[in-house]
Amino acid sequence: MIEVKDLRKYFSSGILKKQYIKAVDGVSFRIERGETLGLVGESGCGKTTVGKLLLRLIEPTSGKISFDGIDLLQLKKKELRKVRPRMQMIFQDPEASLNPRMKIGDSIAEPLKLQGTMGKSEIKDKVSELIETVGLNPEHVNRYPYQLSGGQNQRVVLARVLALNPDFIVADEPTSSLDVSVQAQILNLIRDLKRELHLTLLFISHDLEVVRHMSDRIAVMYHGKIVEIGNAKDIFNDARHPYTNTLISPASIEDIKNTSDYHGVSGCVFYLGCPFAAEICSKKEPEMVEIGSGHWVACYYSS
Amino acid sequence: MTLLEITSLRTWFPTREGIVKAVNTVDLEIEDKEKLGLIGETGSGKSILGMSIIRLFHPSAKINIEGKIVYKGKDLLRLNKEEMRGIRGKEIAMILQNPATSLNPVLKVGDQIAEAIQLHQGLAKRAASEKAVEMLEAVKIPAPDKMANKYPHEFSGGMKERAMIAMALACDPSLIIADEPTKGLDVTIKMQVVKLLREVTKQRSMLFITHDLGVAAEVCDNIAVMYAGELVEYAKTEDIFKNPLHPYTQGFLNSLPERGLKPIRGMSPSLINLPDGCRFHPRCDYATGICKTRHPEMAEIGNGHFVRCLLYDRS
Repeated sequence: MIEVKDLRKYFSSGILKKQYIKAVDGVSFRIERGETLGLVGESGCGKTTVGKLLLRLIEPTSGKISFDGIDLLQLKKKELRKVRPRMQMIFQDPEASLNPRMKIGDSIAEPLKLQGTMGKSEIKDKVSELIETVGLNPEHVNRYPYQLSGGQNQRVVLARVLALNPDFIVADEPTSSLDVSVQAQILNLIRDLKRELHLTLLFISHDLEVVRHMSDRIAVMYHGKIVEIGNAKDIFNDARHPYTNTLISPASIEDIKNTSDYHGVSGCVFYLGCPFAAEICSKKEPEMVEIGSGHWVACYYSS
Repeated sequence: MTLLEITSLRTWFPTREGIVKAVNTVDLEIEDKEKLGLIGETGSGKSILGMSIIRLFHPSAKINIEGKIVYKGKDLLRLNKEEMRGIRGKEIAMILQNPATSLNPVLKVGDQIAEAIQLHQGLAKRAASEKAVEMLEAVKIPAPDKMANKYPHEFSGGMKERAMIAMALACDPSLIIADEPTKGLDVTIKMQVVKLLREVTKQRSMLFITHDLGVAAEVCDNIAVMYAGELVEYAKTEDIFKNPLHPYTQGFLNSLPERGLKPIRGMSPSLINLPDGCRFHPRCDYATGICKTRHPEMAEIGNGHFVRCLLYDRS
């Protein structure tokens, strides 16, 4: 469904002396149809940028993205607009994704109106259907986002995302601002809908437990690179990259050194934080190596 | 020795829509050097309970606080503004949620910490600045003398949280109220902050407000569970995790991803229209007819394990 090859996004800052921040630095992966790929990593590692690049909400510096056989980066604006309804994104903060001055029903109807293929009464029916799908009450249609709770607003966002029958959804920390019990409701809803509607999902989170629950496969990202990727089971039972291990058992955290000045490191991205770092790690970047079926890791120590 | 004793505390906010009963008759004790966890969902009143202790409300806020908050023999609710100022920061310090908005963006971090030291300990400016650097060092900020001269936006999230902790510790308080100090931090940074908190509170008491159960388990000796403005369960940390009694506590634990992600049905009630009887009965799988009308009292079930639920009522 999705194939990403050597994707890069550098942000530049400064006028006289340009500095580059390598938000995404050579990322490659595939997502099969109907699969959920979890993408984990700490804040600032570039995972949200990957999500936005996939939908071409921002333009990559280089790389290749194909979506269902279509080369996304070659598309012109008009052609892209035709593909867009098939791919949607759920953002972190539901309150910020909804127009505060628009009623819930209008917010959900908006993409349908823009598409322009449905009549007024058809749209109304579709909105009620969507409201029911995501577990809201019909009376919510006439409310404003501030009158609903965080969990309810995230349901509204979900209804709006589903309005155009997408094939592929990027869910970017959809529950990071919610309480645990509400989080459980929303995650279960997303999982059920994914199954019923045969969606393909990229699920981004910094919470490894949540990702484990949602994903078929997991990719672990650190400072702009994917350091390990594999089946969810393998990642949890047989994590090979030292960074993945620190995510799984944060108790081993004492060994980690300050990694804030990683820029300009020529070797492994995790070199400064890694308890097993050897000389070669600081000099040459490790390649991704397949160590089990579909289980890839970029680390000299573990491969 | 009991350091803080809260009896029948009520913090109500009269509004146009009705009275918001944010804290509704809470009894709670904190021993000397005890770390007490206060857990509950957003809107359960846990932050307001923390703020009530040091009366940290906007001067124009309309509030009714009733009950007793006895700290070292003094009822804090009877102190006037001036006396309260001597307690805040010096005796009881608070680490607020969201360090990004709690620090003053236009003041250097070192100066912000020194401000409290000057005020409470009467140190001269120079000495206070030196003490501020010491505090930053105590919370393990690298190159503290340089960092003291930087502004909050030059600090990362974890560093800001450390600066907040340094500020709370600056006047050597006996009790620290920490309100979600790890919210919004990455797992790795979170565990570092937790470790630091554990270290610096060895000789103090702490009320640790959080909805992160994993963190509470790491830090606290005892845990109180709050729901809709009142406490529903209180026990040793181990007992809360191994043998939760209240259906709400059980539901809360089961909604964690590592315990199967089973949500509690329904939503927390509005603090204006609380349900009759047990506050949790509309969402409870074990509710019977009597739960709709009778409001359960907190009762001791086992050794130091209290629960507010009619399932365990033997009368």
